[in-house]
Amino acid sequence: MKSIKLLMAMALMLSISTCFAEIKNAKVETVHIYGNCSICKKTIESAANVKDIVQVEWNKDTKMAILTYDEKKTNQDEILKRIGLAGYDSDKFLAPDNVYAKLEPCCQYERTGKIVAKIEDVKTVILTVEEKVVTPILTIKIQGEQLKEVFDSYFAVKDALVKTDGNLAATKAASLLNSINAVKMESLTKDEHAEWMKVMKDLVFDAEHISETKDAGHQRDHFTYLSKNMYSVMKVSKQETPTYYQFCPMANKGKGANWLSKENIVKNPYYGSKMMGCGKTVETIN
Amino acid sequence: MRLKSFIVFFKTKAIITVFFLFSTTVFAQKVVRYDLYVKDTLVHFAGKEKRAIAVNGQIPMPTLTFTEGDTAEIHVHNQLKEETSLHWHGLFLPNKEDGVPNLTQMPIRPNTTHIYRFPIIQNGTHWYHSHSGLQEQIGMYGNFVMLKRPNDPSFRKGIDDLPTLPIVLSEWTNLKPENIHRMLHNANDYPALKKNSVQSYGEAISAGHFKTKLLNEWKRMLAMDVSDVYYEKIFMNGKPSSELKSISGNELKGGDKVRLRISNGGASSYFWLTYAGGKITVVANDGNDVEPVEVDRLIIAVSETYDIIVNIPADKTAYEFLATTEDRTNSASIYIGIGIKQLKSSLPRLKYFEGMKMMNDMMKMNGELDDMGMAMSLNQMDMNVVMYPEITGDAKPKQDDNDPNRYNANALGDIVTLNYAMLKSPTITALPKEAPVKELYFKLSGNMNRYVWSLDNKVVSEADKILIKKGENIRIILYNGSMMRHPMHLHGHDFRLLNGQGQNAPLKNIVDVMPMETDTLEFNANIEGDWFFHCHILYHMMSGMGRVLSYENQMPNPLIPNPKLAQRKLFADDRKFHFMAENDFATNGNDGMAMLQNTRWSIGSEWRIGHHVFHGYEIETHIGRYIGRMQWLMPFVGFDWRYRKFGIDEQETNLFGQSNSKDLRSLFTVGVNYTLPLLIIGQAEIYQDGNIRFQLIREDIPITKRLRMSFMLNTDKEYMAGFRYIVNKNMGITSHYDSDMGFGAGITFSY
Repeated sequence: MKSIKLLMAMALMLSISTCFAEIKNAKVETVHIYGNCSICKKTIESAANVKDIVQVEWNKDTKMAILTYDEKKTNQDEILKRIGLAGYDSDKFLAPDNVYAKLEPCCQYERTGKIVAKIEDVKTVILTVEEKVVTPILTIKIQGEQLKEVFDSYFAVKDALVKTDGNLAATKAASLLNSINAVKMESLTKDEHAEWMKVMKDLVFDAEHISETKDAGHQRDHFTYLSKNMYSVMKVSKQETPTYYQFCPMANKGKGANWLSKENIVKNPYYGSKMMGCGKTVETIN
Repeated sequence: MRLKSFIVFFKTKAIITVFFLFSTTVFAQKVVRYDLYVKDTLVHFAGKEKRAIAVNGQIPMPTLTFTEGDTAEIHVHNQLKEETSLHWHGLFLPNKEDGVPNLTQMPIRPNTTHIYRFPIIQNGTHWYHSHSGLQEQIGMYGNFVMLKRPNDPSFRKGIDDLPTLPIVLSEWTNLKPENIHRMLHNANDYPALKKNSVQSYGEAISAGHFKTKLLNEWKRMLAMDVSDVYYEKIFMNGKPSSELKSISGNELKGGDKVRLRISNGGASSYFWLTYAGGKITVVANDGNDVEPVEVDRLIIAVSETYDIIVNIPADKTAYEFLATTEDRTNSASIYIGIGIKQLKSSLPRLKYFEGMKMMNDMMKMNGELDDMGMAMSLNQMDMNVVMYPEITGDAKPKQDDNDPNRYNANALGDIVTLNYAMLKSPTITALPKEAPVKELYFKLSGNMNRYVWSLDNKVVSEADKILIKKGENIRIILYNGSMMRHPMHLHGHDFRLLNGQGQNAPLKNIVDVMPMETDTLEFNANIEGDWFFHCHILYHMMSGMGRVLSYENQMPNPLIPNPKLAQRKLFADDRKFHFMAENDFATNGNDGMAMLQNTRWSIGSEWRIGHHVFHGYEIETHIGRYIGRMQWLMPFVGFDWRYRKFGIDEQETNLFGQSNSKDLRSLFTVGVNYTLPLLIIGQAEIYQDGNIRFQLIREDIPITKRLRMSFMLNTDKEYMAGFRYIVNKNMGITSHYDSDMGFGAGITFSY
């Protein structure tokens, strides 16, 4: 099937390049479309082209595309939307993030068209940037916000384990380690400080171990303790949104294990897709 | 004092007190009047000029806005050439204002004006639509918003004071709705062709699912889709794509929150709602507040309403809010914000053969469904997840048949999908404890192949009204034993959907029941009248899927002067006969058939006309009645007339040695049709002269997307086999071999 499609696409391209005249009521426009390479070119053009109605030619050096289309049957927006849905930004549309993320590595063009989100999202955006940038920003964080970085990194580790992705869990555990080390203890509240002192060493120990292996099984062993300690910190720390303390009776070789989640829906980090829904919320921490 | 009874059961005590303080001063003071002019119009929505109905010159109908405590006065001027009516969906009102023609009022006749007048005693997002015939499909739907008073104790800061946009979702088809209805009853697979969901043997083989398809037909199922009708366009407020840049003069910017009041005014489509700017916060459902719940997406059933809040994360960007039909063939969007448009990825195509496999597992040989002990309810388990690539992956799922969560979208995927169990009322909704309880049980039943939809295998015209007493608590248990989901709607009341939230069970007036689900709902019977309870898929309702709940010893309705006549007209909807015909003009003759069918009866004629006397002429007419829930059995009486000089094979006796008066016969016959596995129809009949005949026939075996095969053989030693290539919905190219007329090729026209 694939080869047939390819053949058809090739035949279509050939026929189009030779017979421009086939498009009636033709309107020609030149627009900017982001992209990098010849793979991009193929994706952009095959998403945009419609037999006898639309023909697009994109130049990878100038990043400009020539749109030729039947203006009685379609319009520029429709064409650019299809290109956007295939993963490519233009001056009118931004591609969905999940589609962009699935593009070939060589196609991951720089998304200068995207405007960085305001409000809460700003923090998460900053978090993913290099630590160098993080440090100055952390110092201006107000009280109580301090530990949020730690918690957010913890949730990222949890999400990685839900997906049973050892590589990702290791990376996320490394950034967890960074945010644990970045906590300025003098700016914690009294209760937070007391609790933090008790568990900090263990937190560092488990986070380190998770970051040093790619074996999700081993990571999960440490995650049991990491979760328990994180829970005791979270109990005394005031957060804007509730956190759910969840429990799976089967994990940890039948002894049961807990974890924390921002969502009141069970996604089991100890089993992943094997038993995703196993467990329940045992406590809501406000 | 009617008003008092309204209020007591729907508001908490605290509200009642406040309400009564104001009721003397505010109530019935402000009359809000709307004039609605209903008129035929021509529209050009999808490439062709077609008839539609516009109200005040617009589609959708205008948004009607009231504040709780107002009195609504709506003047409906019918300028159509046909009858109409308007139903106020989800409203608490006197029965005679409910707008169901031939049940709560007589239809509004052409060139007359009808006035609806009722107090607004609730708040929330609702909508209104025509309840006459299929008018809802061609434009008669609109938003109906009732605001809270600012001093309402249930007023929620940060929700009720947000900038708000009401949106009514709808669909458009270039086919006449009457024609869609007729085609559905004749199992026409033209919509499947348009949607690329024919699921033929050829497609099954190339997907590695030949056995699945074979088993599916063995279990007497036609190819299924999640919805039946193909639509050319999907609309939000009448447009496939629109922009929301400002609300009441204020430009939208990064950081703003917007509340959308969404009603699904589609006649038969469910919609997935997704948003490019992050999570969706659900704050109300069916006009009733719920505790805010954050989700990635939700499905809105036909005629449901949801109030949701979306964020605009950044400046200079407009975020796409997307409504996609459940079958994923079409969508509508609105871009919220100002600037470059951030798209939301479209939902991938359904994995139809995975769905077919799932149906095979669930279907028993006798046509009953088997939930394999899963006790499904409240949309928590969605069997269709096996078809969703975004949840179960692109390839074949690594399905574990013992995983209790194998249909639980929220456990399988990394996105959160709303289900009914997540809805919680912010107020206590418990019913009066001392009231007597009446329990009703309905099995939602259906026959996909013949498009018969019913409750307990009875359509509206076959069942009595269900009598209830004022003051009773009515508990309704619904089990869906059919293969499609049904949004069941109750008029005039909100019910509590028992969803595990105890005293805070959410109040709704629609419950979507998926196949094999059991849901329980309850309400206090507090406003007398005849109230319709029905499936809100327009074509299911018109096929008779509903009941009337009637209060005992109620006052006669002044708008129904002749209840017997009204009832006969109401019942006419599902008693309607649907016509189909086809004729093959072929080189070896001319053969065809015409059929009139309704819920139970079938009147059909088949003819074969050769080009000369040697090929013969014949016509067979059968009148039969379908028996049982699955309607596999159809006894019939008939008349057979033939004339033929002599045959190509000169056969004059049948397999049983009985001589056959084929050269000129006119005989009465009685017999039965029975649908066998693989959808082969077995026919046995005996003629008045004692001759018997057995026949096997199967038509329209889907070989490829457009190619159909059929065959027939009988004990008169007649046989036929042929192919048909579908060109469009009314035309096909055929070739067949017939024992009477030999080989032929031709063109078939069908209606």
